[in-house]
Amino acid sequence: MIINNKIILIFFFLITQSVLAQTDWVRWEKSSASYQIKDDYENRSYDLSIESISDILVKPVINAYWFFISDVDGANCPFHPSCSTFLVQSVKETNIFQGTLMFFDRFTRDTNVFGRLSHYPRYGKNHFYDPINLYTLSSDRIKIIPVNTFVNDEN
Amino acid sequence: MMKIKIFVLSVLLTFPIVPQEIDFNLPHNIKLFADFLFCEKDYLRAIVEYKKYLNTTENDTVQFKIALAYSKMNEFNLAFANLEKIKRASIFYQDGISEKLKLLFIQNNDSAFYQFAKNVVSSDIKYQKLYLCYGLLNKIKYGDKNKFLAAFDNEEKISVEKFYEQKLNPNYKSEVLAGILSAIIPGSGKIYTEEYGDGITSFLLTGLFSYLAYTNFDHKHYTRAWIFTALGAGFYAGNVYGSVASAQIFNAKVNFEFENGLKLYLEEKNYFIPEYEFCK
Repeated sequence: MIINNKIILIFFFLITQSVLAQTDWVRWEKSSASYQIKDDYENRSYDLSIESISDILVKPVINAYWFFISDVDGANCPFHPSCSTFLVQSVKETNIFQGTLMFFDRFTRDTNVFGRLSHYPRYGKNHFYDPINLYTLSSDRIKIIPVNTFVNDEN
Repeated sequence: MMKIKIFVLSVLLTFPIVPQEIDFNLPHNIKLFADFLFCEKDYLRAIVEYKKYLNTTENDTVQFKIALAYSKMNEFNLAFANLEKIKRASIFYQDGISEKLKLLFIQNNDSAFYQFAKNVVSSDIKYQKLYLCYGLLNKIKYGDKNKFLAAFDNEEKISVEKFYEQKLNPNYKSEVLAGILSAIIPGSGKIYTEEYGDGITSFLLTGLFSYLAYTNFDHKHYTRAWIFTALGAGFYAGNVYGSVASAQIFNAKVNFEFENGLKLYLEEKNYFIPEYEFCK
């Protein structure tokens, strides 16, 4: 039987096509896009356990705010940690009086919308990094991070 | 058909006729290749080749280059260990001391730096420059400026003098004054610490809540009046506190910029070590 050269050529072409075919299907699968801004909700501690006197005052208020307002409203605070988390952390680190002062000072910074980009390091794409260790009045704890440095790229 | 055969034959024949004649495993060639890799900044592979070369021949230049390569890769301990292998009789002995001083400077290990420096600084004035700069970074103040600057060249003096002045008279802001200013006029403490936006915002927020509290008391809406009073007082006290914190942050930034500036300058000057002519 005489085999035509064209048939051999087509045969080899088809074989190579199937041998070198794309097997990495995962890359082309349908993906479910999420346009929700990620936030650190999962890091929030919603517990109401009382460990100090300040917890009696702060925890119910903050939990109520998170549950009824913040979680519903979304991640709108431009800072990381958010203002409410800042209050919880600062009260935990210092005391109810100093923590409250730190919170009012943070809220002033939050209200000021001018010059943020040239003032704070960045946390992810959407937040400015403003940790509590800068404001505890303990100069040893102050660590300067240059402006526009990306502290975390996860968001 | 004949032409094709001749062509194939000539191609095949060229391979055995023109074979590779260079022996890459000769020490001289290993060193040449390693030098090439070193100058291409492929330090890891350069070290491998240099070590291969040292197995056959003793060479202090190669030993020094291995140390430099480790140093460039930020493998400071390995670099130091290789510098230790350079003998006193070698022409690289002095450079080795400069490199060791540089490594200890970068590692910022106070005790190790001073222990090493006290033995070498008196032996040659060139080591003094880095020693003095280390002092600038580590909270040591020098009384006599001229004595301090004497170790530096004229060109270096201009820059080093600036750092010296910054260290002696840092542009700090007083935390107490910032607090007092904000207590007198809300926000002024923040403006003093060059946080202009926050200062103005603070003034507006305190002013707004104070006004709301005043008018509500005036109209006998006591519940609202007390709420606004609490908020106004909170913003006022928070602003005084924030001004003190802001002055602290300002001072920390001054220190940060000073240290960064000096480190960048020293990096630019290669820690006062002249450039080696290995890759020229």
